[in-house]
Amino acid sequence: MSWIREGELTIIERFCANIIKAGPMPKHVAFIMDGNRRYAQKCHVERQQGHSQGFDKLAQTLRWCLNLGIQEVTVYAFSIENFKRSKEEVDGLMDLARQKFSRLLEEQENLKKHGVCIRVLGDLPLLPLDVQELIAQAVLATRNYNKCFLNVCFAYTSRHEISNAVREMAWGVEQGLLKPSDVSESLLDKCLYTNNSPDPDLLIRTSGEVRLSDFLLWQTSHSCLVFQSVLWPEYSFWNLCEAILRFQMNYGALQKARDSYMEERRRQQMERDQDYVTRKLQQEGCASHGDSRRQRNLLQKCTAMREERIQGFLQALEHKRADFFERLCTVSA
Amino acid sequence: RWRADGRALRKLPVHVGLVVTEEEPSYADMASLVVWCMAVGISYVSVYDHNGIFKRNNSRLMDEILKQQQELIGLDCSKYTVEFANQDKTGQVLNCQSTLKVLSPEDGKADIVKAAQNFCQLVAQQQRTHTDLDVNVLNNLLSSTNGFPDPDLVLKFGPVDSTLGFLPWHIRLTEIISLPSHINISYEEFFSALHHYAACEQRWGK
Repeated sequence: MSWIREGELTIIERFCANIIKAGPMPKHVAFIMDGNRRYAQKCHVERQQGHSQGFDKLAQTLRWCLNLGIQEVTVYAFSIENFKRSKEEVDGLMDLARQKFSRLLEEQENLKKHGVCIRVLGDLPLLPLDVQELIAQAVLATRNYNKCFLNVCFAYTSRHEISNAVREMAWGVEQGLLKPSDVSESLLDKCLYTNNSPDPDLLIRTSGEVRLSDFLLWQTSHSCLVFQSVLWPEYSFWNLCEAILRFQMNYGALQKARDSYMEERRRQQMERDQDYVTRKLQQEGCASHGDSRRQRNLLQKCTAMREERIQGFLQALEHKRADFFERLCTVSA
Repeated sequence: RWRADGRALRKLPVHVGLVVTEEEPSYADMASLVVWCMAVGISYVSVYDHNGIFKRNNSRLMDEILKQQQELIGLDCSKYTVEFANQDKTGQVLNCQSTLKVLSPEDGKADIVKAAQNFCQLVAQQQRTHTDLDVNVLNNLLSSTNGFPDPDLVLKFGPVDSTLGFLPWHIRLTEIISLPSHINISYEEFFSALHHYAACEQRWGK
């Protein structure tokens, strides 16, 4: 299969994999696949070749992840900022996308066999229409597979994603589905393009750069960040193991930090809800506004109603998104 | 001589984030780092730890900074001012134009959520529509770093390989340089990190 290399690990690789798997393993790994152009320069080939090799390396890395039991991978394939590159390079990358997505659609049997769910995340309307159509077909064809997940960020930046999420919540308020007070961190989480995935445990950036370049800024706030100097097309199984070892060394501290953050978030939400309830009862002129049973009941009622509103809104949002892909497919049919 | 050091670098960050991932922060060492940043000519400095310890003990940090300023810059005092953004204390003396902010996780995602709530409130009152919101509008609604540009550089201290919630929105292009610890940190270690930063090549997506 072109997107996931066939093949098993060598004996040595399998030996190391077994050692690593004795410790905690990331469930979701994100990659900034940087260094294709520098690799091309180094090998005296065209940039396009560098990108093509980069894709091959992606296929190989996905195979390694599956062999290691890592079920979800997110990659930064094309940033909105990359549109600033020369027309020649951008066209080349779009052609590569056309080629790879078309190939993917020809390999549906394999995708089904491996249960690969492909998602493409980004501001897709910015792409050429035919590329959007291919993407829609790939996404719809694999949407019910659930053995492993590949999220491709294409025409993506994190700030656009976050702004989009806020816009969707504002849309929800406009539609009368949400109240402004329903807006929370957890609701924003559910409005991101990545809402069907857990946050990445590990983010790897190759080629030696030590910045995030507008990739998954929200989702990686408590992830293990590993910066490796190897150029992406030269990435090896050992580089991947090294990154996972770093993840394992950080595991305890990150779990602790994440837990205390969530605890604080829950506490603040509880405080806000209690304040709201107290004020509401005061407003209604209840002499017994201090009555804890009344407080508890009202709190439960408000929380339940908010949950209902949120479910309704999220369903509408899901519908809107599915609609977008379906409409693209009927166009090309 | 610190100013000369700063000028000798190919590029100097405009805003440096000092992020501590160690559990026990040291006020004296953090104060040194802040004072060095300002001495070298960095205009904006932010201090962060994920437990919000520095923020809660703000005045203790300020006292330590003023003390260090006296000790380290001593005779040259007249050239440097520290302005503490949002603080009650105003640093002494004239001239320097450096500003400090002490941040915690509530300045990160929580600030984005607050901005989102405010916008949604305007939408509910029909003063805005959802299509009005884009990246720039949201950026302008954030308040945790009012007046500060995005950090060019984060100096991360401690063994944890994560930003632990430091200004997720603002660090989209920030170089992240890790140092083993802020405890007993030397000026040389600090400066060599700045040197490392000066060598980074930014392509801006092109």
